[in-house]
Amino acid sequence: MCDIIWCKDCDTVNYLDPYYFWNWEGKIKCAGCENVYYIYMIQGHMYKGPEKKPGEKEDILPVYADKPNEGYEEILPGTEGKTRPYNCLPRHIYLGEADMVKFSARGRPVRGWRPQPPSTGVAGSCGFTWDIQKLSPEVWEEYQEKVKKGEVGDW
Amino acid sequence: MKDQRVTRIEDLPGPKSQGELEEMKMPYEEWCRKVFAPGQEKTKPESLKGIRWLSTTMYIFTPHSVANLAELGAECIKIEMPRMGDPMRHTSPFNECYLYPLHDSRPMTGTGLGFTNANSNEYYITMDYHVDEMKEAFYRLVKLSDGLTECYRPGTFDRWKQSYRYLQELNPRFIYVWGGGFGYGPKVFGGSYDILGQAHAGLASVTGFHEDFGGHCTKHSNWCIDWYSGTQITVAMLAALYWRRKTGLGTMIEFSQVQAATRCLGYAAPLYGRFGIVRQRWGNWDTQLCVHGIILCGKSDYPDEANPQLKYEARYVVVSAFNDPDFKELCAIVGRNDLWDQYKTLQDRVKPEAQMVIYKALEDWAADKTRSEVVKTLTDAGLLAMPVMNDKEVYESEHFRQRGTIRWLDDPVFGDVLIHSGYSCGLMSKTPRRVNWIWRPVGADNVKIYHEMLGYPMSQVEQWYEKNLI
Amino acid sequence: MAQKIREVEINSREDTLPLMGPDVRPYPVTPPPSQEEVAAVYARRKAEEFGKWCEDNLRIDYAAAKPEALQGVRVLSCGQWRMGHKFGAGLLGELGAEVINVEPPEGDPLRKLTPFGREEYMLEDKNGDKCGLDFIHELRNAYSVTLNLETEKGRELYTKLAEHADILIEEYPPGYMDELGIGYRQLSQINPRLVYCWIGEHGQWGPMKDKVSKFGQWMLDPFGQAACSFIHNTGFPEDLLPRGKGGDPTQSGVWFADYVAGEQTAVGALAALYWRDEFSGEGQFIETTAAESLMDILDFDITWYGFNKSIKARTGGWDPNLNQYAWNPCKDGYMMIGGQTDRLWYRIGMCIERELPIFGRLIHEDPLLKEMAARNALQALTKTYTMTTMWLRNINRVEAEEKLMQYEIAAGPLLYIDEVAEFPHFKYRPWVNVLEDEEYGTLMYSESTTAYQMRTPGRVKWLGRPLGKDNAEIFMKYIGLGQSELRELKEQGVV
Repeated sequence: MCDIIWCKDCDTVNYLDPYYFWNWEGKIKCAGCENVYYIYMIQGHMYKGPEKKPGEKEDILPVYADKPNEGYEEILPGTEGKTRPYNCLPRHIYLGEADMVKFSARGRPVRGWRPQPPSTGVAGSCGFTWDIQKLSPEVWEEYQEKVKKGEVGDW
Repeated sequence: MKDQRVTRIEDLPGPKSQGELEEMKMPYEEWCRKVFAPGQEKTKPESLKGIRWLSTTMYIFTPHSVANLAELGAECIKIEMPRMGDPMRHTSPFNECYLYPLHDSRPMTGTGLGFTNANSNEYYITMDYHVDEMKEAFYRLVKLSDGLTECYRPGTFDRWKQSYRYLQELNPRFIYVWGGGFGYGPKVFGGSYDILGQAHAGLASVTGFHEDFGGHCTKHSNWCIDWYSGTQITVAMLAALYWRRKTGLGTMIEFSQVQAATRCLGYAAPLYGRFGIVRQRWGNWDTQLCVHGIILCGKSDYPDEANPQLKYEARYVVVSAFNDPDFKELCAIVGRNDLWDQYKTLQDRVKPEAQMVIYKALEDWAADKTRSEVVKTLTDAGLLAMPVMNDKEVYESEHFRQRGTIRWLDDPVFGDVLIHSGYSCGLMSKTPRRVNWIWRPVGADNVKIYHEMLGYPMSQVEQWYEKNLI
Repeated sequence: MAQKIREVEINSREDTLPLMGPDVRPYPVTPPPSQEEVAAVYARRKAEEFGKWCEDNLRIDYAAAKPEALQGVRVLSCGQWRMGHKFGAGLLGELGAEVINVEPPEGDPLRKLTPFGREEYMLEDKNGDKCGLDFIHELRNAYSVTLNLETEKGRELYTKLAEHADILIEEYPPGYMDELGIGYRQLSQINPRLVYCWIGEHGQWGPMKDKVSKFGQWMLDPFGQAACSFIHNTGFPEDLLPRGKGGDPTQSGVWFADYVAGEQTAVGALAALYWRDEFSGEGQFIETTAAESLMDILDFDITWYGFNKSIKARTGGWDPNLNQYAWNPCKDGYMMIGGQTDRLWYRIGMCIERELPIFGRLIHEDPLLKEMAARNALQALTKTYTMTTMWLRNINRVEAEEKLMQYEIAAGPLLYIDEVAEFPHFKYRPWVNVLEDEEYGTLMYSESTTAYQMRTPGRVKWLGRPLGKDNAEIFMKYIGLGQSELRELKEQGVV
């Protein structure tokens, strides 16, 4: 009676997110097995269901599910046939961790990678320069290559 | 006979030089370009030259009130906690974007893009000011400055003997700003965030699709209310500076971010007060005008792009035709003259039932069209329409590039960054805003301020640093 | 309390309106907490003395007896339809500037707008003219004069008023005033000290400058919101709500970009005034647009594109940078909960787990959710907020707030305007306030945000203004027009 469906057959927890399913009626397939559940939710409560509907076609897949008893194994969004994809993302690649960028979108150096060599100064102070040629010669080299190849623009 | 008391423009002495004459005759747009001259900001003076402001702030709301001054040319000093810095430095969308280093001692940690734009042009020092040993340095700063903005829980600075109660004794010209969620009163100690302000103040209740249409209350993207409220503090600070010029006296300003979100609700309060009617949300339509809203088109402008924001989302158009002739023309274009026959006045059109019929008809018409087809058809017919633009399109817009409101900045410490702030707050012909650097590493100006400005010997600065006081 | 029984007959909705007025149902419905009760709150954190000092020095009750910061600054405000110039001039007016609002003789069209066309929500002034509430609420402390700028005489009078102004805020289509010979180019010749501000949606120059339709209709907000990516970035993703039912890019419920442009105009104008008075004696030309000033405050969005070509996507009531930091539905509305550091994250969890043990099992024990940055991943947001809502759906906002406050969590209910007006803290200050207006009677309004100051607090003196009410005074005072001349001008359609 809640907005997760803990499927006892495959021990998978399907998370029914609070906005999509707040008021919803239809059939949802478990991300861990072939079970299809009918649910009818009103104001976030299960008014009817979850009720197994063997052999019926689902209306929707959950966006995320996991298996707490198997080391919280994740079934990430967009797993074919299990979860529906999460489309509304800023890029077609999703990292979720620091993107080590060395060059900006127009191809010029930007300090988006680590580690960065310290720029010496008392009490953490630093001046108003970043001597890339000296501090990161390999990036400087790469930059010169890019300039030659015409990959550096004004915009 | 001419009335001598009347001064007419043409009676006045005209342009005084050839250049002025040409300027007066120039086509208006060309003249605008010339007076605002994007890219030439540094050849012009700064409006707030000579003002020095301290910023003991965190997050977005209070920092932005000071960043406004810094962009206008004031010298602003941001004071952060040693080694850690502003918590906002540790936020980044989906944990993906950081610029390094945060601090010399932490080469693996960066400042997240969440920190962007809120503290431009400032000098960055560190100070653990609640320690007694640093009190004297803090007071020195106060004596040398015009004002301070802080955001700590009420009573905190007072406990540390650095509230306005104490500081006005040191510097009667001092302008002291406290910015936070609530201020004096029963919820005085309540913490606040941007999103809390949006929810608590009623703004969220009028934004988003109504539940009858399946929608929920919607958050304004970004930390809009923090920024917006911060700018209103700046208005109050500048007014206080104006008054100080006359009287020589500072003041204390207590500013609540939650309240500022209530301030922009328009008719919500008077409608409730007089008639007991509670303003509701109305999605992408307007409660007072029709047609004046956003419609969904059938096809994306970029079906083959990899980025989902282009592939799936480039489908929305703002359509505006609320005056009678505009609406009539719109009905003709979408082939629904019957709608014009049915809703001939704005008062007819703006009724909820009518809006539902009209926008449905527009979306039906647009169902087999791309966004740009819809915009082109409507604008070619002389009506007002535009695509709902995304970040890429805004970046690529020739308009903002020419106006200099989006530009690349060769940041002295971090390299090539794209900025959309500062220059975009308003073009000024004689004392334009400017962005000199996006931010600096934690404590980057400790020597500059403690040693050069406040006159502490280098050994003292080093000692404080070793003791983790700065 | 004895209830008075009233005889009422209700045949239509209109009949109910008089039953809701401020005479029948005065504000606030229940009194705010007393000062003694609030003193006890200060004492809880040992801030009695400081709290008392704040109340003694900052309380709005004392504002009217204090000086005004911008006394002596004269602002001419001239525009139609939009909020920008009204809000910008209103902020200056609240701080003591003398604001003169210039409208065409038929009035600003915003006066005629009312929600869903309902005339019964408009207020009548003493002349019997009706005015919409948006206009009344946003035109603050301003005098109203009328001038027909399409006539030569009207332009002449306008020019003379501008001679006396320190700040002029204009909001007409690009180049319109210049074409009439009363733009900055011309006015600065006769008043070089004038700070002239233009406000628009996209700009008065450039490839995407403001347009009017071929029938003369203006561009209004949300054209500003749409042009800077704000709308694209706001709203629920299709993954959380079906497209067409809220899972779409969403505009602000108010003309938000106009408000942002208005406040930045006030900042620019005051900075220019400072430079004029301190250094140069010269005025200048300022151009603020709704699109750009809103773009200024879109965090890092465009910067992000420059970093790795990301295009910000919608995330509804959630935030991709922080977890927890969202509102989600509860039994009687929506509840906002925030706290992303480990300390706060687990305190929220403890609060919920007390009533929903499975929360601990699925959230606290999940190794993937133990690291702060990893909690911002999409799947983590989905999981966290699903489980949080399982708790919230059983309780009301006020219960949730009470429970979370015990754990010192920054949490707050999502309130509607009636609830805002009655929230104890808000009515204690008060943030939604009432004033008895000479023309429109008792009005409820959002209080000036600059009203809480030690020396020069802002204040609202009156709201709205009957059209042309101050013609006689202003034209006499600054131009020297007498009664008979004014009558003539009226007949000629100039005022």
